[in-house]
Amino acid sequence: MINTILFRMEFRRNLRSLVLWSAVICALIFFTMSLFRSVLEYQQQIMGMVKIVPMAAMKARGFGNITDIFSGLGFYAANNIVYMMLLGSIYSMVLTSNILLKEEYGKTAEYLMSRPISRDEIFTTKSALACLNVVLLNIIACLVSYISLEVFKSGDFRIQPFMVLTLYTFLLNLLFGALGLLVACLIRRARPVTFFCVGLVLVLYFLFTISRLSGVKGYFGYMSPFKWVNVEVLNPSYGAEFWRIFLFLGLTVLLVILSGFLYRKKDILT
Amino acid sequence: MNFCLVCPETTPVPENIIEIRNLSKYYGHSRGIEDVSLEVKQGEFFGFIGPNGAGKSTTIRILLNLIFPSSGSAKIFGMDVVRSSKQIRSRLGYVPSDASLYDKMKVHEFLRFGAAFYGGTRSEDRIRELAGILDLNLERRVTELSTGNKKKVNIIQALAHRPDLLILDEPTTGLDPLIQSKLFGLLTEENKRGATVFFSSHILSDVQVLCRRVAIVKDGRIIRSDEIAVLREKQLKKVRILFTENGILDNIEITGMESFHRESPRSIVFMFSGDINELINRLSVCSVESLSIEEPPLEEIFLHYYQ
Repeated sequence: MINTILFRMEFRRNLRSLVLWSAVICALIFFTMSLFRSVLEYQQQIMGMVKIVPMAAMKARGFGNITDIFSGLGFYAANNIVYMMLLGSIYSMVLTSNILLKEEYGKTAEYLMSRPISRDEIFTTKSALACLNVVLLNIIACLVSYISLEVFKSGDFRIQPFMVLTLYTFLLNLLFGALGLLVACLIRRARPVTFFCVGLVLVLYFLFTISRLSGVKGYFGYMSPFKWVNVEVLNPSYGAEFWRIFLFLGLTVLLVILSGFLYRKKDILT
Repeated sequence: MNFCLVCPETTPVPENIIEIRNLSKYYGHSRGIEDVSLEVKQGEFFGFIGPNGAGKSTTIRILLNLIFPSSGSAKIFGMDVVRSSKQIRSRLGYVPSDASLYDKMKVHEFLRFGAAFYGGTRSEDRIRELAGILDLNLERRVTELSTGNKKKVNIIQALAHRPDLLILDEPTTGLDPLIQSKLFGLLTEENKRGATVFFSSHILSDVQVLCRRVAIVKDGRIIRSDEIAVLREKQLKKVRILFTENGILDNIEITGMESFHRESPRSIVFMFSGDINELINRLSVCSVESLSIEEPPLEEIFLHYYQ
C-alpha cells in the first residue's frame, strides 16, 4: 500500500522542516534544562517567590508541588508540556494537514493523480511519512531530553516515568497528526490551514491550562487531549495507564480511518 | 481486434477508448457538466472544443478520477474511471491546463520522479529526446521556469512513457508558434504510432489542424459531435441573398435558418442547415439578383454553436 517512489520524494520534501523543528525544540529543551542548575543554586530565593504564587498557577505550569521545581524530572516535565506537547503537536498537525492539502492548493495533485497510483496509496504513503517524521521528532527530542537530564541533574532520576511521559507525548502528537489529516480531508476547496491548525492546538492547550489553573474538576478539562496526558511524573504511582493509551491510540486510528474514507471520496478541486 | 500498445502481448483493447454515458457533475447548486455522452475510438484524434467555463476540464477531471460524477458513467479502455483509475492511468498521458510542478527540484529530477511510477528505465532516453525537440534545459530548477517551459515539462511527462491514450487540456497555452508546431508534430507521430488523442481546447485553429472529429461543448452540454469535414460540408451552409430593388423580402422564415443578419436593405446573410430545395422554392416567389451558398469557415461554424 505504501508507494516507495512517493515516500522517498515526500521524505526529501519534508526533511528540512523536520530538521528545523527538531533543532528548535531540542535547543529549547537543552537551554531550559541548563537553567536547572541556577534554579538549584537560588533555591531559597525561588522558594520565597514561589510561595506567593497560587498553587493552581503552579499546577497550570505543570508542577504538582512547590518542591517539584527542584527535581530534575519535575522541572523537565513542566517544560516538556510546552516544548514537546505543545510545539510537537503543532508540528504534527501542520505537517499532516499540509502533506495532503499542499498537492491541491499547490496544483500538483493533477500531476500526481495522473500517475498510476491509487488514492489509498497516496493517503497511506503520506500518512506513513508524516507518522515517521513525528516518530523521528519524538526520538530526537527524547534523546536530547535524556542527555539534558543526565547533564544537568542534581541526583538520580527514575527512567520509567520519563519514558512513560515520552510515550504519552508521542501519542498526543500522533493524535494531533490524525486530526490534521481529518482537517485536510474535510476542507472542500484546498487552502493552507497552518493558522487554523496552530489556533486549534493553542485553544485546546489553553483549555487544558485553564482547567488546571481554575482547579475545575470533572469533565471540562478532558475536552482537551492535553489533559489526557498524566504529567505528574513525581507521583510515586506514576506509570502507563491502559485507558489513556487506549484512548489516544483508539481515537488516532479512528480519525485516520475516517480521513482515509473521506479522502477516497473527495473531489480534488485544483 | 485491437491490442494495447505498451502493455504486453495480447491485451485486447475495446473499440471505444473513451466512453462517456449521461455524465453530469454539479458543484453544490452550480453546474459543471450535464448529461454529457461521447465516444472516442481507438486511434482517433478527437477534439473537445468549447469556450472557457463550458465544462471541458470538468469532463477531463472526471475521466482522471480527480472528481466524482454526480450521475452517469465513464469508461476508458473499457474500465470504469472510478473503480479502475490506477489501471487506466498506467496507460494514459495527461497534460493539465494549469498544473504546477514540485518546487525544489530540477527538471530532470521531476521528470525522473514522474517516470518512475511506470517502472523501467526506457523513459530516460525518451525524456532526453523530447527535451531536445521541445528545446528544454533539463538542468534548470523548476522554480526558474517560465509558463511556456513548465508546459513543456508537462508535455514531456505525458509523452515519456508512450501512453495508449493522451488527454491534453489546453496544451498549447504559453507555447510560442514554433514549439506549438513541434508539439503538433509529436502528437501526430504518437497518433500514427496508434495512440488515441483527446485534445481539449478553446482555440479553433489548433483543433482544425489536428482533429478529425470534434465534440462542441457549451454550458456544460455537448451540443454537437461530428467529423470536422461533416460539420463543414454537409451541415451548415452560409447563404447570402441579394434581392432586386423591387423584390425585397422582409420576412423569410424557413426551417433550418439561423444566425440571420441583414447586411443592407437588399442583402441578407444566414446560416442554413435545412433542405436546400425548400429554400429555393421559397425564394422562387421573390426577385433575386444573386444567391450564394457556401461552406462557412470552421471558425464561423464554431461561433454559430457557441452563440
